[in-house]
Amino acid sequence: MSWTLRPRGLRARLVVAFVLVTVAGATAAAWSSARSASTALVTSNQQRLTASTADQLAAITPELSYPPDQAALDRIRIAVGENTLVTFRGMQSADGAAGLVPGTLRTAVQEQRQMVAQRITAEGKPWLLIGTPIMTTAVNGSRTPSGIEVYSVRDLTAVEQEIDSLTRTAVATSALALLPAVFLALLAARSVLRPVRDLRDTARRLADGDLSARTAPQGADELAALTDTVNEMAASLQDSMVTMQRMQSDARRFAADVSHELRTPLSTLTAVVEVLAGTTAGMEPDARESAELAVTETERLVRLVEDLMEVSRFDAGTAGLRLEETNLADAVRDCLRARNWLDQVDLVAADNVVLRCDRRRLDVIVANLVGNAFRHGEPPVLVRISVTQEEAAVEVTDNGPGLSEMVLPHVFDRFYKADAARTRTPGSGLGLAIALENARLHSGDLTASNNAHGGARFTLLLPRGLEKL
Amino acid sequence: MRTLVALLGVLTLAGCGIQPSGVSDGGEAPTGLATGPTLYFVDASQHLVAQPRQGGRLGTIADAIALLLSGPGGTGKLHTEITAGEVTRTDVAISPGVIEVRLPLTVDDVTSLGIDQLVCTTLAVHIQSGGSRNVKVRLVFTLATPESDRLRTCPLIS
Repeated sequence: MSWTLRPRGLRARLVVAFVLVTVAGATAAAWSSARSASTALVTSNQQRLTASTADQLAAITPELSYPPDQAALDRIRIAVGENTLVTFRGMQSADGAAGLVPGTLRTAVQEQRQMVAQRITAEGKPWLLIGTPIMTTAVNGSRTPSGIEVYSVRDLTAVEQEIDSLTRTAVATSALALLPAVFLALLAARSVLRPVRDLRDTARRLADGDLSARTAPQGADELAALTDTVNEMAASLQDSMVTMQRMQSDARRFAADVSHELRTPLSTLTAVVEVLAGTTAGMEPDARESAELAVTETERLVRLVEDLMEVSRFDAGTAGLRLEETNLADAVRDCLRARNWLDQVDLVAADNVVLRCDRRRLDVIVANLVGNAFRHGEPPVLVRISVTQEEAAVEVTDNGPGLSEMVLPHVFDRFYKADAARTRTPGSGLGLAIALENARLHSGDLTASNNAHGGARFTLLLPRGLEKL
Repeated sequence: MRTLVALLGVLTLAGCGIQPSGVSDGGEAPTGLATGPTLYFVDASQHLVAQPRQGGRLGTIADAIALLLSGPGGTGKLHTEITAGEVTRTDVAISPGVIEVRLPLTVDDVTSLGIDQLVCTTLAVHIQSGGSRNVKVRLVFTLATPESDRLRTCPLIS
């Protein structure tokens, strides 16, 4: 039997355990009853054979001459049956298998002065050895050995065959227990496994996001308790999710409301600051510096609010995509030209890369990436446009120190500042987040990495078959 | 698990067949050998006396009573109190506790000592053949008499 084939499934394990226990029990019971039956059979046969030998001897002794001659010994032997040995002092009368009688039995007969019996196995057969002295009894009842000893060897093969048939019946009975055991085990396994399967299905639905999935508990056993617990878990999970979603949407609406509310006062403020900027010429140097600072900060505030509103639109899912046929190289060149960056940027572009995209959003992305390259990296800044069958790539690299390992995972996070000390950068802190949202809006992606020789590299991937969407 | 299976296998195999045994007690040994029966006669002072015969074998109760009925013979010191006829054949029936002897005699053919002779001879043969000492003897005479219903014991064998 190979135990490497240990059953794995709950059903198989249940069936195997059930069958093993049942068969072991049935075998033990059958073995025990067969054993006691065979013991009783052997004992009763032994007693019967011993008693019949005693009776045969008692019937013949009064007719025997004493002291016996050879003829008398022969008469005893014939009266007892075949395979018998009769001895008297030096004389003996023997036939058949009488030679099987061992010395120990003869000693026992001489010492115990009564009938003795012994079972042996010889020549592949079971035998019963019966040995007895023949006594003489005085009128007063006292007994003395006559000197005649009788040994009889009886074949027990018939008894053994009976025992064998008993054993076979016992084995067959044990085997009969196998079938109902398998059937019952399958029934038990089914009743256990059905709730387990239901529970598994529910857990699968929960994992797939259906938080309303529940299992109706059946009965009042441990599995029903487990089902209840799973249901409670799902309910509390659902509650948490609802609360979290509400809080998230509250936070988004708050950001949207704040930025919206800030816009009107800001436009007034902008107008005031512009007036202020026009009059700096006649100011004292101190006052002019303050006025210029106010102008710069106001512009930054306006940009921040605009970025916040853009982010809010993304969060609310209201950001729309206006797709149009665009020549990628032209679009990037227009973007750079509009910001007077054409002279400082090396543009390597495959011509005639035409794809459908939102030009405004593409402009926002490219401007942010190139602006970042100037602001955080070192020139020369390289913009390379490449194309494959499925997508177009715009790659912006600089020759600065690159992005540190610590920064790299957070570079697209909102308001993430790479250098904690340099908090007052001109950017809003939302530029890369917005760029990533814009790329995703196109079903594309934006990734950050480092060049082999240092310097950050941002790669915008835009799919080409957007018209099919 | 492997041990359990092995154990079950061993036990199952051990349950099969007849196991050899040591020497065990098989009951009381048979008896019944004797050089001859013991007969009971009466001596000159009217006492019962055992007279062992050397017949070479014990024989049956009927054989012994036939010998008893034919008299003590020999020396003349012993005599019998039984007046026997020609016929010496008796029927003996042994049932649990009682030996019934049908005699070819009437109650007038025996004295009380003669009855003791018959009872003792019967019991002696019975005991020497391996029988119990506690059996009673009923002597049935040819003519109807209350003596035929009495259960008797031998004064010499208790």
